Parts: sequence; C-alpha cells; structure tokens
Amino acid sequence: MSEAKKIPRPLPRPDIYMKTRPFWEAAKQHKLMLQFCKDTNQYQWFPRPVSIYSGKRNLEWREASGKGTLYTWTNTLVPWPGHEDRVPYICALVDLEEEVRILVNLVNCEASKLQGGLPVRLSWERLSEEFNVPVFEPA
Amino acid sequence: MAKRDIAIVGYGETKVELRSGRSSYDLGGEVFEQILNSTGVAKSEIDGICVSETMSETSNPFWPVYMAEMLGLAPTWTQVNGLGGASTIAGISRAASAIRDGQCNTVLVLASDAQSSYPPTEQGAQRWEFQYPTGLRGPVGVFGLLSQRYRLQYGLKDEALAKLAVTQRNHALMNPNACAKLKTPITEQDYLKSKYVSEPLRMLDSVMVCDGANGVLVTSTENAKRLGLKKAVYPTGYGEITNFNGDKALSDITETGFSVAGPKALKQAGLTPKDIQLFTPYDDFLIAILIQLEQIGFCGRGEGSDFILRTDMTYKGTLPLNTSGGQISAGQPGLAGGGLNLVEAVRQLFGEAGERQVADVKNAMATGIGVIPYARNWGVSNVMILES
Repeated sequence: MSEAKKIPRPLPRPDIYMKTRPFWEAAKQHKLMLQFCKDTNQYQWFPRPVSIYSGKRNLEWREASGKGTLYTWTNTLVPWPGHEDRVPYICALVDLEEEVRILVNLVNCEASKLQGGLPVRLSWERLSEEFNVPVFEPA
Repeated sequence: MAKRDIAIVGYGETKVELRSGRSSYDLGGEVFEQILNSTGVAKSEIDGICVSETMSETSNPFWPVYMAEMLGLAPTWTQVNGLGGASTIAGISRAASAIRDGQCNTVLVLASDAQSSYPPTEQGAQRWEFQYPTGLRGPVGVFGLLSQRYRLQYGLKDEALAKLAVTQRNHALMNPNACAKLKTPITEQDYLKSKYVSEPLRMLDSVMVCDGANGVLVTSTENAKRLGLKKAVYPTGYGEITNFNGDKALSDITETGFSVAGPKALKQAGLTPKDIQLFTPYDDFLIAILIQLEQIGFCGRGEGSDFILRTDMTYKGTLPLNTSGGQISAGQPGLAGGGLNLVEAVRQLFGEAGERQVADVKNAMATGIGVIPYARNWGVSNVMILES
C-alpha cells in the first residue's frame, strides 16, 4: 500500500517581509517579544515596518508579560494543509496585558468548556530546533 | 442630490463551474462577447478597461494589459483592482470617476477567475510567520473566530442562518448560471445538521470556490443616449473603506467597515435602508450577510437574527436577498465572486431575471467584501446603490 504524500507542518519563514529574527531568537529563550512604539508608548502586534499609531519607525522590541484573556476561538475540525495530524485544534485570539491581540493555538483545554474572557498564560510549542512558537493555556 | 450622469448599460455572466479547466481570459472573453451582443455597442467604442485581480492569474504583474490584448481593446484608461471581492463595485466607482474626468467614455468592468482550476497566488507578508504555523483555516477559520465572538457579544440564532441558507438556495434553483453541483434543494434541517468545519462554522455557512466571470459596461448617461442604448441603471451612491480600525491594536471585530461605507452610500443616494427594494450583499459566509444588515442600518447591533427571522427575503418578499443564489448557493467564481451579486442586481433592474424577477424593483444595494487580514474581520468593505 502506498502512503499518501504528506505535507509537513509549515515552519515560520523569518526575515522575509520584515527583520523578525529578534522575535524568533527570543522565542528560543521562551520570551515573547512585541514591537513598542516609543512615540506613543503603545505596543503593536504583528511586527510592522512603522508604528500603526504614528507612522514613524521609532520602534523597539520589548518582552511581554505572557498574561492575557481569551477574546474568541474556533475549534478546527477540517485542517489547513500541513496540520492534518493535529485535528482537532483550537485557534484563538488572545488579548495580552500589553493591549495587543495575538493569533495563537490554545492548548491544554477543551473547546466545549471555553468562555470569553478566560484568563490565559503564555506557553511554548517546539516546532524544530530553530523554532518555538507561542501558544496559550488557561491560567 | 444623487447624480445620474453615469450609467451601467449592459452586463454579462458565465455559468459558475467547478474545475472548468478554462482560463480567466477565456471566461472573460465570454462575458465580453455577451455584453457586445446584448448592448449592440461596437467594440471600438470601448476605450476603458477595469479588471479585478484574480487568484489564478495574479502572479502575472501585467494582467490588465494582457486582458486588453486578449480582447483586442486599445483603452485610453486601464485599471486593476486588488480589493478581492470588493473589486467589481469599486471598479464601477473608479470607472465613473475616469469618465467624469474625460479619461475615457465607455468602460468594460470585468472580473474573471479560475480559482478551482489553477493554484492560487500566495499572499505572503506576515502569513508565513504568524498565521500559517497556527493552522488557522484561512477565511473559514477567520469567520469561525468572528462568528464565535459575535455569539459571545450578542447571541446568534442558528435558525436565522438556516433561513438565509434556504432562501439563497431556493433562488439558485431558479438561476441557470448557478453551479450544477449546488442545484439541489436544502432544508433548514440540512443546514443545522451540516458538519462543522471550524466551529461554530458549518459546511453550509460557506462558499464553494469555482470558476467563472462577470462584468458590466459603464458609460456616461449622455453617451448612452448617443449610442441609442435602451437599458440603463444608475450607480447613485457609493461608500468604501479599507483596513477599517487599522490603527487600533484592540478593536471590536464585530464592528466592520460597513458602518462607514453603508451610511455613506445611502446618504449619497438620498435613501434610507427602508427604501431598498433588493439587497445583493457579498456573501462568502452567511454571518457576513447578518453583520452587513446590522451595520448598514437595516436593524440595530445584535438584532440581525431577529430581523432575518421576521423578514421575507425571498424574491417575492419585502427585502429580496441575492436572488441568483448568492455565492454561497450559485458558487463563488474565485475573486470574480464580487461581481456575481452586482450583476444580478443589474439584471433585476433591467427586468431580465426570468422566473425569479422581483416585481417593480426600482433600486438595489450591492456590496463587496475583500481580503482576510490578521486577527480582524475583513480588509475592504464597500456598498453601491443602483437605481433604474
């Protein structure tokens, strides 16, 4: 019996649209870095070439607390290509204490028991030697 | 107040087909010929072309010029719109501006795509790093997130979505251009039992990607008279916004650009939602229809379910909805999907909708939704009002 050709889970591709290497280097140390606009004292996510608040490039990377609340979620039953082995899995939008919203997987929980506003905390999933991705779990 | 100096004088549409194996050029050519035949306008009169970006041809950075070459046109004004499903009505609005500015007189606004036959173009940007690793299932996943948030904030009645599904499907059954695979009746129970793809989103909440093309011919009212054209509808109101709330990191994702584009279009036309006689909204997912009803002002925030349940939205009803079946029941011809419901509005106002004709219809509201952004609802919202 021939095995169906499997698409591997896609790994992040850093430094293509932006210099994002600082984010992925910090992720190896389990640190979640966000861009911070020094002109307006606000965070933003995902990484951009300018501040979405001021349009200026006066940005720096700062570490996030890793605390947040659940804004919304979807329980994925039909996977995106490369994620077949993970079904079912939960994709969620989490509002961080730093007032940004991040798209992540929610782990160590049951989809049917989730509630809006649930306190969640940062954890990490190791995809390869080079890449850890941030995930969240109930706090 | 509303200007009637620009007219849509013809339309064309191919059948919507799953994996037709035809190209965007071939599909577009069929629409072009239909428009020439139905209007009797000589090809040499067409001096403007406005095409929508596609999933199947957009890797070609010269797509609009290639299309002009394919069709044998020598336009003095050429435009491409990369606004996804918002591209067609945006194209009509831009064509109107170009005609008013004297750049051209008669514009072919064309959308064609063969997304189910050819691999789609990659959108890149942040997706490889911050979206794909999560496995979020593209538009289906994003609308799953949006639906869940709407449920948390307002509550959502599944029977309202079921009613939308059945209403549009019944309309598709009367549409000769609807995708053959979708031309089977469904019941509200079929919707409610349809399997979850990305909870709370069901299979029957969503479009099926197909191939197809559609388009309209736009000219000045004055030129339409010169050409002796008998049929015309007038785009009397238009509103558009891209990246709504794009300078905010935390915004209510159930609040969309339609709260801006809808009132703007209505004000320009001098109409209120109560005046609208035909509603042909962009429908990639059923909940998008519900949210548009609320944000354009047919009902209040959170009242969408009840509005749908108490309103007859069939072609015989008080607010007829997507009378050709919408994309959800006629099939989504890739990024030409944005023209599908617009063309139906023009067909209805021309009185050419056959057995699904809305009686005495004098105006219609068509909308567009384009592009899936990061962690919000959608990238472009636009609204056009057409009057006969």
